[in-house]
Amino acid sequence: MAYLTQPDYVKYICSCGQLKPITNLYFCRHCLKIRCGFCICHEVDSHYCANCLENMPSSEARLKKNRCSSCFACPSCFHTLSTRATLARDPAGGDGKPPKKMYYLSCFNCRWTSRDVGIPDQPVASGGWPERTNPFTTRFNQLLDYYKAIAQQEKQEKLDKERKKFVTRGKYINLTDKTGLTGAMARNIAGLPSSESSSSVISNFVPSQASPDVEELPDDYHLKEIDLKQITRISQRTSCPELQPSLASRLSPRPRALCVKRSQRCRACDHNLTKPEYNPGSVKFKIELLAYYHVPEVKIISYETIKPGGTSALLLKLSNPTAHEMTVKMLQPEDVPDQEDEHKTIEKTLEKSLNLEKDISWNASFPRRPPPPNAGSVNLPAVSLTLAQRDDAAEYDDEPPGDNDDIILWRKSNKLALRLKLTTDAQAKVGSNAYFSFALQYSYRNTVPPSATVVQHSDHTLYTTLILDLGKVCE
Amino acid sequence: MSQNIKILPGATVCEDCTLEGDITIGGGTVIHPRVTIIAEGGPIIISEYCIIEEYATIIHKKAETQETPPKPLFIGAHNVFEVACKLESFFGHIGESNVFECRSFVGSDVKIGSGCVIGAACQLTVPQTLADNTVIWGSEHHNREALEKQPTQLLQLDFLSKVMPNYHRLRKPNIHKRLPSRPSQDTAK
Ligand SMILES: [Zn+2]
Ligand SMILES: [Zn+2]
Ligand SMILES: [Zn+2]
Ligand SMILES: [Zn+2]
Repeated sequence: MAYLTQPDYVKYICSCGQLKPITNLYFCRHCLKIRCGFCICHEVDSHYCANCLENMPSSEARLKKNRCSSCFACPSCFHTLSTRATLARDPAGGDGKPPKKMYYLSCFNCRWTSRDVGIPDQPVASGGWPERTNPFTTRFNQLLDYYKAIAQQEKQEKLDKERKKFVTRGKYINLTDKTGLTGAMARNIAGLPSSESSSSVISNFVPSQASPDVEELPDDYHLKEIDLKQITRISQRTSCPELQPSLASRLSPRPRALCVKRSQRCRACDHNLTKPEYNPGSVKFKIELLAYYHVPEVKIISYETIKPGGTSALLLKLSNPTAHEMTVKMLQPEDVPDQEDEHKTIEKTLEKSLNLEKDISWNASFPRRPPPPNAGSVNLPAVSLTLAQRDDAAEYDDEPPGDNDDIILWRKSNKLALRLKLTTDAQAKVGSNAYFSFALQYSYRNTVPPSATVVQHSDHTLYTTLILDLGKVCE
Repeated sequence: MSQNIKILPGATVCEDCTLEGDITIGGGTVIHPRVTIIAEGGPIIISEYCIIEEYATIIHKKAETQETPPKPLFIGAHNVFEVACKLESFFGHIGESNVFECRSFVGSDVKIGSGCVIGAACQLTVPQTLADNTVIWGSEHHNREALEKQPTQLLQLDFLSKVMPNYHRLRKPNIHKRLPSRPSQDTAK
């Protein structure tokens, strides 16, 4: 159960040990494991502007410094600025000329306008807004050239070393011997800067030097009263690192930062867990392996107050989100069979030996934080419960809630309400968090064939552990 | 509480609102349905060309040391009270061209100049004085000083006073005086 504004009362334990509500979890259909944002690989698919929805490839985005060229953000509160039109009167007394439309930028959140800092109104809506030039542009370019030259040199050295190795090993004729083409000529033909010029960039580079002369502070520095409305906040300064305006009158509109669409990938098997549609206007996914569609969902209906040493009733609702019938059994968390074979099986795969960059040792290096201590235990029925498949049409049927006994309160379509008993420890401290945990064993039918040759469905028995947050232990 | 509602010609006041006490509503002002204006501590005078939106509440609070005769709460021209904002005040004077955004709250003992904006959901509870053109916004109550007053809402007022009578029962103006002079800020027309 997850809410936008309330805490998450039911949390699932991810295969990496994190506690997350079901809406924040993914389910890898290939590993049959629950994954979360912490233990998967995030990849940038595309860059876009969230305001004008312009889409651009990453190379173009890098060229534009990851900012949109037509949208601006408020330098005061970082909200998107809107363009407003006014009718400008001719200051020289109208000679019957129609008033001209002029545009300025304005923030609907903090009411900042481009007029506040003296930026003149523009005759066209789309911009031509004056840009403040970075006072360190030359130094920036110097540094850029220097690092490019160093990268070039290192690459060249590596190549030379490799070639030497090659020459000593065999008696092959290299390109220069055969054609008389030297490395410098080849670089020239390929349009690369010659090694001489890159070395000159490196030798001519002047490192920045610290100077002992520091500008004196003005005499009234400590005496002058500060007007907080005139000076900028830290966040306003850091939003514009190259200028860092200290006065509110020096703020200027910032091109809006781009957003990215991400796709998520399982780190263990490299399959995509989510893949969004490319179009930035679309909120749909091409691949969407969310736990919400595959793992039985548990919601708390109600519970009695938790008292130390007492028993209280707990009503839970289970629902089956899959299109197949599901058998669910409740277990104590310690009865879940150990499934720590993940690392071994993966190491065995050929994939691992081919792709050296992929390293799952990170998984082992994070010690699993033990789940919060339980305030007691849930008395679980030793029966298997069958949950019907999800049927969207059943929502409209007025079928009365079906069979009930002392455990099942009611049953409707793919949902089931359970009546359980909680036993709270006598030592549970009054005022401490009342956490209860249990595990679910559920059957899962995987409709994705493991390979093209095997077409049949495969049924699996999977486990997941949940933690219920039932408020505080009361007296 | 004695009821004494004075509506000047040109004001658009919906019938479905709670008006209690001695209230004067200036010409050109639009009061939406479900507005609550309570003058318990003294008269409330609302000037011309104000917009008071749905569920807005304006209360003239009773001060501990009540003066006789009670002093009025005067609300200047061109103020905009957005949906569900609340203004509680003792007698005094609220400037012109202020915007009280949605769900904002201005407690008693807050003095407001002209051209101020109290942002959505901002709560002003401590006694303070807002200088002219102060803008307050966000959950952290950031503030800044705007260069100029907020633009007037004359086009919106025109539209509302034309549309309102088609959909709502209105209270009739009950004071017949000369029409209020056109305001000086009539530039947006
Ligand atoms: Zn996987
Ligand atoms: Zn995880
Ligand atoms: Zn944009
Ligand atoms: Zn802003």
